[in-house]
Amino acid sequence: MIIGQKIKDLLRDTRWGDWCLITLYLSLVSGIIVGIHYDPAEPFYSTSAIDILVPYGRYFRSLHFYSSQFFFLSAILHYYGVFTKADSYPAKPYSALILTLPVALVLLFTGYVLRSDSTGFSAGMIAEHILEAIPLVGPTLNNLLFSISDHGLNRVYLHHVFSFDLLFLLLAWEHLRRYKVTFSRHLLFLGSVLFFSLLVAAPIDPEELGVFYITGPWFFLGLQELLRYLPPFLAGIVFPASLIIALIFLRRQNRSFRPILVFVFIWLGGYALLSVLALVAHH
Amino acid sequence: MKAINGRQPAGFTRRTVLFIGSLLLLYPFIRFINHRVPRKPKIVEVNGTLKANGYLAKDDFILFSGGDDIWAVSRTCTHLGCRLNYKEKETLLECPCHQSRFSTRGELLRGPAKKELAVFPVEQKGSPPIYYVTIL
Ligand code: FES
Repeated sequence: MIIGQKIKDLLRDTRWGDWCLITLYLSLVSGIIVGIHYDPAEPFYSTSAIDILVPYGRYFRSLHFYSSQFFFLSAILHYYGVFTKADSYPAKPYSALILTLPVALVLLFTGYVLRSDSTGFSAGMIAEHILEAIPLVGPTLNNLLFSISDHGLNRVYLHHVFSFDLLFLLLAWEHLRRYKVTFSRHLLFLGSVLFFSLLVAAPIDPEELGVFYITGPWFFLGLQELLRYLPPFLAGIVFPASLIIALIFLRRQNRSFRPILVFVFIWLGGYALLSVLALVAHH
Repeated sequence: MKAINGRQPAGFTRRTVLFIGSLLLLYPFIRFINHRVPRKPKIVEVNGTLKANGYLAKDDFILFSGGDDIWAVSRTCTHLGCRLNYKEKETLLECPCHQSRFSTRGELLRGPAKKELAVFPVEQKGSPPIYYVTIL
């Protein structure tokens, strides 16, 4: 009981928002650095070269990878931590902030695709097929965003380094303007992220022929499992969108707060279950 | 003008013009992003040695030989496009994403994929032979 309460307090009291900002800056800066040696025409080769050949390349790629992952995680915890304080936010800016979550996720996702190892390649192909399955606008959307089969990683690269970031900043702009972070107050956290990236390399699958099981990025596992049973439009678009819409309406002043909360919990529980299934059921 | 029309109608007109304007812009934009340079069939040259009843895996296809026949089966899974791998012991192709299975001739053995694989034409020239596979 007491431990549970302690964890709850910690989640509520840690300044996740500050951590978000710090990791966001780290991710942007390290992304620019990694981009100096990344070549979308030779994605796997250039990523491996960054890891193996370029001095400190492994470090900067790892910093980019982990700062982005930490950013996403602290964004979720930040959402949880300030949830009760956000009642006064008007609906529009609140929805914009909720939408930063899927945009951040897409940024993470395209990062995996860009490294173009077997996990990244498969993730890209699956995303392309999901988009194409959207009635009417699907093929156009795919041509706009991915189109990997026809144009390689050109478009994914463009959006990863430019348009999705711009979209993220647009959605978060008001919020970012309001809060500042003093790096010197978070030296320990900053140091930990820098040090962690020094110790742990960012993942990349070695090139080998006999890969019979690809588990995809961790946040994609449940979706990948669901795609086994449902058509791509339902599993890849309707299902994830239902959570985002629920989160937009999950406000304490909303009369349907309770049922939406129950829906969100069932969704998250179901997703966790699917992810576990993806890891253990098909080897 | 202010006194007669007030701000509402002016704002409304401006908004309507903006709306129609962006709709008009949408058309060239959609045409622009949907443009595809017609793809030429890609011909891949393979000059490894292919044993009798053997196989050679390339990025886009696997070249098989059996009896007098040589054929190339696409490695693109018909479910969601992941790259298939060859399970030599079971003589079948399996997808790493959702484990759809196909025979070496491309027939569907197990879903979730619903369609069979593409099979590409192979031309053989010279000796030792060079194989030309046309990816359509
Ligand atoms: S992509 Fe091959 S089985 Fe799903």
